[in-house]
Amino acid sequence: MSETLPSVYGGEILHVDLETGDNEIESIDPQDARRFLGGNGFVAKQVAEHVPVDADPFDPENVLALAVGPMNATPFQSTSRGVVGFVSPMTNGFFDSTFGGTLPQALKTTGFDGVVLHGAAEEHSYVVVDEDGAEVKSADGLEGTETYETCGEIRDREGVGYDTHVLANGPAGENQVRYACLVHESKLREGVAGRGGAGAVLGSKNVKAIAVQGGDFQPEPAGDLQGRAVQQMGRLMEETEMLQEYGTSGLVNPINEMGKLGHRNMQTEQADAEDAEAVSGETLYEEYVTEDTTCANCAVKCGKHVSVEAEGITEGKIPEFESLFGTATLQEVYDPERVIKANDLCDRLGMDTISWGVTVAFARECYEKGLLDDDDSPHLEFGDADGLVELARKTAEREGFGDDLAEGSFRLAESLDDEADRYLYGAKGLEFAAHSARGLKGMSIGYATATRGGSHHDTRPTLQYDGNHDETTKGTPEFAARTQHFTALGDSLTQCRFVSEAGWGARVNERYAEAISLATGWELSTEDVEAIGERIYNLERLINVARGVADRGTDTLPHRTMHEPIPDGPSEGMYCPPEELEGMLDEYYEFRGWNDNGHPTTDTVERLDLSDVAEHVAD
Amino acid sequence: MELELRYFAMIREAVGERTTTREFDSGTTVRDVLATLEDDHPDLEGTLLANDGAVARSITVLRNGTNVTHFEGGATELADGDTLSITPPVTGG
Ligand code: SF4
Repeated sequence: MSETLPSVYGGEILHVDLETGDNEIESIDPQDARRFLGGNGFVAKQVAEHVPVDADPFDPENVLALAVGPMNATPFQSTSRGVVGFVSPMTNGFFDSTFGGTLPQALKTTGFDGVVLHGAAEEHSYVVVDEDGAEVKSADGLEGTETYETCGEIRDREGVGYDTHVLANGPAGENQVRYACLVHESKLREGVAGRGGAGAVLGSKNVKAIAVQGGDFQPEPAGDLQGRAVQQMGRLMEETEMLQEYGTSGLVNPINEMGKLGHRNMQTEQADAEDAEAVSGETLYEEYVTEDTTCANCAVKCGKHVSVEAEGITEGKIPEFESLFGTATLQEVYDPERVIKANDLCDRLGMDTISWGVTVAFARECYEKGLLDDDDSPHLEFGDADGLVELARKTAEREGFGDDLAEGSFRLAESLDDEADRYLYGAKGLEFAAHSARGLKGMSIGYATATRGGSHHDTRPTLQYDGNHDETTKGTPEFAARTQHFTALGDSLTQCRFVSEAGWGARVNERYAEAISLATGWELSTEDVEAIGERIYNLERLINVARGVADRGTDTLPHRTMHEPIPDGPSEGMYCPPEELEGMLDEYYEFRGWNDNGHPTTDTVERLDLSDVAEHVAD
Repeated sequence: MELELRYFAMIREAVGERTTTREFDSGTTVRDVLATLEDDHPDLEGTLLANDGAVARSITVLRNGTNVTHFEGGATELADGDTLSITPPVTGG
């Protein structure tokens, strides 16, 4: 008897031709649901199947695939996220970026587990998805509008208020700033698909926004998923207390105390305690937070709104920890009001605060070292707070030096003296997030091998801060690889990472196996569910190998991470010299079943049941 | 001996101060300091130490910036001039 799809799935992927507006519906093969689960797994498969390996990220042949997981709209906590997958204009490789809010849950109720946008629209458009399919509509009048304004305008045009859930581009995406993001403003909280340039890809398709109107589909778990979720609630709430009160900004002070928080473009990794305090969660909470905000189905409510009268900000989104690293400590800007302003501007203009911040900090160091001067741009001195705000606007508009910043730090470095390479901080074309590539060994090998390059959602830092694989290389390559399985699995479930790590555990474990089995009716062991994450990670690697962006040569770290030890503070002396990285790569490839050049072997592809997709990628 | 204690987030709220400098007997351990804080601040009772005397899962303790899991956890002996930072669990952002 052929297998049926579990009733937590709507069962269909909707393909939309942006040029003609035609819809095509793909039924999800139950075997593919078992192999790829949802979210991350589904979008990786779509990119593998539909994007030619030689397509430029801005070619219409690139796709933008949006998907949710099997547990969205079930009682399983915080499966409120969605994933967008595409080939990234930053890395030229596969990229997936997640976001929260209410849109993913609404998409689930349409019965579509995924929507794939193909080609490019002839006129400036937005796409409305409901349970009957998708319509490509004119976005006339929305040229150059900011993200929140776009969300509001499309809600007005559709006429059902917040029942239209909008994920929008800002001016940065329209101008194809390479790290332009997508912003979702919902009734409950904002969500940002921040990294890798999803907004730039959507902009290249001449699409301003994706809007979703929910339907009647309700996923039905096979077992008592609700009961299982309730059992986890106590631990979840206990371990997220800081997030509940301060959001992720509460991490600034503790990580600065550890001497692992980048400062002055990573020249040092500890700010003066008073400076860190000025942009810390504690200060933001005391001075600026006005209310909690939340994604659908989440009791943690880590989102916060802030108001800053002097900057004209009312109920703006609080800067996340990663953004405070990118836009404050890395810049030596400790004026919280200007930092909040710059972040608010980035959200409105639609730019990733990490890539933008790291790129600006890189430019500041190039200026300091004489590789850029005042003719290139004013405001490039470390500590120039007004420059932060001014450069955000210029970048989104690609005005003057903003046009160079819009290309990201790696492309900017190519236009400067070779010395500039020494000040880069990223891998595979993507700037690193806040978790130290020098001060956390797991991040050293994790970033070097990450599908997405400088992503902190490939290998996770959380266990490292607790003293696991932070200072030792022993067993660290395997640790890094296995947390990559954990994140690929989690992003396929589309569960919020904060909630999963705190409530369910920061490694793949029997609790996840039990919950997925209860949802789907499959009887899965811990090894089975880890294999799903491993399969997805290998599929991403196969895409990147075929695109020529993943091998031993690109699995590397920037100059400063490999050659300049942290100069002072509690992590003084830590770095990852080339020979240490090479040793870890050998171990990592062996653990993964990849050859010496970092390519998955035929045996590995067969073991992970990826032969059919691998053939597709190779074509 | 003198220790500098730094408090963050909810712990700071309970203690009501950012930093204190306090005298402790020589040989004082991390556990001793946490127990003293629990005694002094009723809001912290049961939040810093687990039942078995280990550092509670819901906090992170740094000795001079290094997680005490790298020493002997709650049993780590402190020295004159040490700084102890008591923070919520540090996660990945
Ligand atoms: S913890 Fe925060 S990001 Fe995660 S689901 Fe809840 S509100 Fe959203």
